[in-house]
Amino acid sequence: MARPSTVRNFAWLWLAATIAVLIVGFRQAIFLAPMEATMGNLQRIFYYHLPHAILGLIFPYINLAASLGYLYWRRRDPLKALSADALAVASAEITVLYVGITLASGMLWGKPAWGIWWAWDARLTTELILWLLYVSYLMLRRFSPAGQTGVLSAVLAVFAAVDVPIVYMSIHWWRTQHPAPVFGSDGGGIDPGMVPAVLWNLAGWAMWGLLLIGFRFALERRRQLAEQEAALLALEASLETPQ
Amino acid sequence: MTWQTFFDFSSMAHRHLVFVYGGVIAVQLAYVGWVARNWSRIGRQ
Repeated sequence: MARPSTVRNFAWLWLAATIAVLIVGFRQAIFLAPMEATMGNLQRIFYYHLPHAILGLIFPYINLAASLGYLYWRRRDPLKALSADALAVASAEITVLYVGITLASGMLWGKPAWGIWWAWDARLTTELILWLLYVSYLMLRRFSPAGQTGVLSAVLAVFAAVDVPIVYMSIHWWRTQHPAPVFGSDGGGIDPGMVPAVLWNLAGWAMWGLLLIGFRFALERRRQLAEQEAALLALEASLETPQ
Repeated sequence: MTWQTFFDFSSMAHRHLVFVYGGVIAVQLAYVGWVARNWSRIGRQ
């Protein structure tokens, strides 16, 4: 187990590196990447939209793995199960954040580009369902009866993760208004001058997302420990002999 | 593009570009702030 001071130092170093990468990414996206021929500067929204969209489809898998870990360990090793539950809630919150930003930045691009804020096409609709699924996951955690929260939310997380491949494949399976993919074997490709802006921002927002998950995980562990301490104190107080 | 043209609010496209970059940074910082606030509150208990 790493010492708390080592973890703290590593987190500060990670934060400094992340800010540096995000500054380079911003500079690449706004000042150095060439202007797109048809959309002009509006296309630069893509450099923030794409990383959040990609990471919004990766973080749910951290939530799925942690939820499966919780279900596996809850009777075998309750301490490990608590850690898995803390990781699950952390990754779910960051998923809501990243998918929410994807939807909002997409709408802000859509209005000037398409003339409308929203279209009920397959990609947008499945992405909205993904966001709603993880919002409902967080609501369930908040309002479910104490003692059942872990199991109920872990089961919901397994079902919610099913939407991730549907979001990814939606532009292949259905005709959509959403732009076709630019990367991969069937992608349209982008100007080589735009690639550094994509990669720097993808790296920066991935580092930031992992930092947020780590910080939120640490907060949830702190909350769990405080809850355990309070329960122990209450138990001790109830066992004390009345004077 | 320069800082001057980045903050050019004359067209909807430019306005929305600034809203996305400013909004993303603001929302991310707000979330970190919320986590940090809860961190210090639980630490004081």
